[in-house]
Amino acid sequence: MSTIAETAARGQARRRLRFDGWRWGGRIFLVFMLLYTALPMVWMLLTSIKSGFAAMQFPPQWWPDQPTLASYQKLLDPQNSVGQDFLRFFWNSLFVSTATTVLSVIVAVPAAYAFSRFTFPGRNFLFFTVLLRNMFPAVIFLVPLFILMRAIGLVNTHGSLVLTYLTFGLPLAIWLLKGFYDNIPVQLEQAARIDGATRFQAFILIVMPLSTPGIIATAIYSFIGAWNEYIYAYTFLSKNEQLTLPVGIQRFFSENTTDFPGLMAASFIMSVPVVVLFLVLQRYFVRALTEGAVKH
Amino acid sequence: MAHVVLKDLVKTYGSFKAVNEVSLTVNDGEFVALVGPSGCGKTTTLNLIAGLIPITSGDIVIGDQVVNDLDPKDRDIAMVFQNYALYPQKSVYMNLAFPLQMRKLPKAEIDKKVREAARVLDMTQLLERKPRELSGGQQQRVALGRALVRDPAVFLMDEPLSNLDAKLRVQMRSEIKRFHQDLKATIVYVTHDQLEAVTMADRMAVMNGGFLQQYDSPAQVFAHPANMFVASFVGSPAMSLIPLEASTANGDTVLKSAEGWSLQLSQRNARKAQSATTRKVVLGARHSTIKLHKSAVPGAIPAKAYTVEPTGDVTFVQALLSGAIVNISVSPNIAVKPDEQIWLEFDQERMHLFDGETEMALEAA
Repeated sequence: MSTIAETAARGQARRRLRFDGWRWGGRIFLVFMLLYTALPMVWMLLTSIKSGFAAMQFPPQWWPDQPTLASYQKLLDPQNSVGQDFLRFFWNSLFVSTATTVLSVIVAVPAAYAFSRFTFPGRNFLFFTVLLRNMFPAVIFLVPLFILMRAIGLVNTHGSLVLTYLTFGLPLAIWLLKGFYDNIPVQLEQAARIDGATRFQAFILIVMPLSTPGIIATAIYSFIGAWNEYIYAYTFLSKNEQLTLPVGIQRFFSENTTDFPGLMAASFIMSVPVVVLFLVLQRYFVRALTEGAVKH
Repeated sequence: MAHVVLKDLVKTYGSFKAVNEVSLTVNDGEFVALVGPSGCGKTTTLNLIAGLIPITSGDIVIGDQVVNDLDPKDRDIAMVFQNYALYPQKSVYMNLAFPLQMRKLPKAEIDKKVREAARVLDMTQLLERKPRELSGGQQQRVALGRALVRDPAVFLMDEPLSNLDAKLRVQMRSEIKRFHQDLKATIVYVTHDQLEAVTMADRMAVMNGGFLQQYDSPAQVFAHPANMFVASFVGSPAMSLIPLEASTANGDTVLKSAEGWSLQLSQRNARKAQSATTRKVVLGARHSTIKLHKSAVPGAIPAKAYTVEPTGDVTFVQALLSGAIVNISVSPNIAVKPDEQIWLEFDQERMHLFDGETEMALEAA
């Protein structure tokens, strides 16, 4: 007869040795997903350091015989005409995305706070209409918005893009931030007001610092949305010097040949700000997505 | 320090009256507990005094100033919240310093006051910690310190002990009481726990349904409850309330039960019963004023034991009488079994009589 301790120990050993099909299935699936997302990026990077000839070879060179940074030099050289264009597109994109991000935080923070803390007539209706916009695919608004922008003389300006991106980014930003403010106990503000703060000071000194993760997540979300947007930039802008990166990169496709290493190098440079931004702030981003969603 | 006066205070939300014409005065240095079941309007009243919500009508006076339209920051009050409301991103030191910083005190003075408050509350070694690194009792003490550091005219406390475990609650209860005695502070203290109110307060304001039911010292409220609500709310176990019918014949007044028994009233109680608006009279008796007999005694009423709860010092017996549950406390060496036949003797001197219609306490005419 075995003691209870012995039985438990044997059970543990069995559990350790047993092949856990689900766990291994999950791991294999994750590896597959990783390859699926990472391989195109790796291929992009490899192609960007090939020569134009090597990029077109078949069977492909997995690792280029003569790796070169020529494409990068060309893109980042302000003396070169390709470089001039690329750098201008880069600054255009940076300007539009930054303006969108700053404005969306400036609008979303007070809006979300008001939805969370104040009761006013039409609050629920307004909050619903904020979300209404996200129930339709973005392209539906392409033609109406173009007509609107033409009517108010904003076609061919970066302002038209900033405005448009705001209407796309704000609903989620407000929604996310409202969840954040809902989770900050109202007593904290009350305590601050009793301790000598005005309502506005209580917001700035107590509530704002607590909602930093939410604000950062909102900012990242707006920035990435604006940075990657293609169809509106393509429709609203026609002058070469105004184009943003996603549209500008198209110039590497020409009638006869496509400069694949140049295209890939441009794509890589374009992804750098987003990746950097995300790596630096991801800690806040993940916290925001979980904290905002869960009620304590 | 200052006194607080509420005059015909009303707060309505739509058609719902959360606070209904509440008038009371808190004297300078007095500890007043607002007590009542949840939803009775006690926290709303406190928030009205704090200025966190606007009043519908009436007046609030703190010191000699009508503060109806003043911002919370201009009322010279400090508040301790149920969830402490410590600023989570700030250290204990910065939590204590915040009210002083908002009043633009010089840095050196802030430092002096914070360290003094920390010393008084015995938490000097905690100053650099964040609130989440503190235990519930320590957080509670920081919240108290943040109120104390500013030396306000009035302290407002909203159920400050209800998040603590039972043992810590008893300990903090005496700490707050000590705090009041040392500071001679004016304190308005909200609680749903009548025991807290009875043990700590100089006077207690019992509220129900937005109305102030009774405002008096705990001893008075306990001995002379103004109505059936106060009688059943204050005291544990609750006062037993038995609905009966008064009738007078040959100069004797008796209370008759639908079960057939009747109870002869003393002269004084008879006069009380005769002042009722109808013949419906409710007999109220606290557990300690009822004598339990195991055999028939003249004047005692037969009943059946329902449950028996020994607590060590004293055993509580519940009996069914005229459809009401009656609590009796007996010495633990009296063995009573459930369903056993018992006889109950009510103390004429210490029984309460209420008007069955208006639920108000009856007075001898």
